[in-house]
Amino acid sequence: MTGGILTLKDIVKTFEMPTVGRLETVQSAMEKMLEIDGYTLLVPRKNRTDAYGIITKKDIVSKVIAEGKDPRKVKVKDVMSKPLVILTNLALDLRYVAKAMANSKVSTIAVFDKGDFYGYVTEACILDGVYHALRRSKLEQGVEFVSC
Amino acid sequence: MELRDVVGRSSPVKIPSAATASDALISMIANKTDYLLVDRSGPHDAYGVVTRRDLIVEGIANGRDLSSTPVLELARKPLVVMNNLDLDIRWVAKKMTDEGISKIAVFDKEKFLGFISDVDIMRAVVAKKEAKK
Repeated sequence: MTGGILTLKDIVKTFEMPTVGRLETVQSAMEKMLEIDGYTLLVPRKNRTDAYGIITKKDIVSKVIAEGKDPRKVKVKDVMSKPLVILTNLALDLRYVAKAMANSKVSTIAVFDKGDFYGYVTEACILDGVYHALRRSKLEQGVEFVSC
Repeated sequence: MELRDVVGRSSPVKIPSAATASDALISMIANKTDYLLVDRSGPHDAYGVVTRRDLIVEGIANGRDLSSTPVLELARKPLVVMNNLDLDIRWVAKKMTDEGISKIAVFDKEKFLGFISDVDIMRAVVAKKEAKK
């Protein structure tokens, strides 16, 4: 933490996001999500000039099920979001990470550091970050109280 | 696949209406859930719901101090309600999309049956397909 402000660097998580092929069906994407209990899947690109995509539970509920389409006939590439929403400034205040998420109406943002992939930030990451900061400040207050 | 087949799997965690946003955050993490039912203050009041996304979009993104913000300022109130249990799951999904939310409260006449979430819908759709195989 820098000067009491939570930044993107404090909350970003580096993990391999589970993937689903762009030509697979929405049905298999759904099965995968439920199996791993993770509701965001990365869609790898075709080649170097292509962009990565992402498919979430919201895409499936609003673009497939709500429209009455058969998830076995719809392909991942037709409902995914592409390209990714990204952030590159690791020193960014947490507040503006949340704002970026609100403005772009997404729940997962990819983070790049100097052109290299760094990690992801999700809604859960933001809340965890705030929660730990809150707990820390409570603990600090408790220590002060005892020393008085 | 109808609404009645999907509802009532889990009971929501409640939070008093006088709580702050940071109380809500702590309760969500302690209970490993992404939404809370905000209790009403009396028989003439409405229930509300506050989700992980509400805390982020309404609270953190606007730079508000969660420990001094009442949860009611971030919560969605009254609830989005559905009460036709025979409705096809498709229209539940459509309602969620139209309202821009992920949790819908389901009532049978006066009786509260529980919330239905976007994950519940996906689980139902997958289960139906597997049963057919």
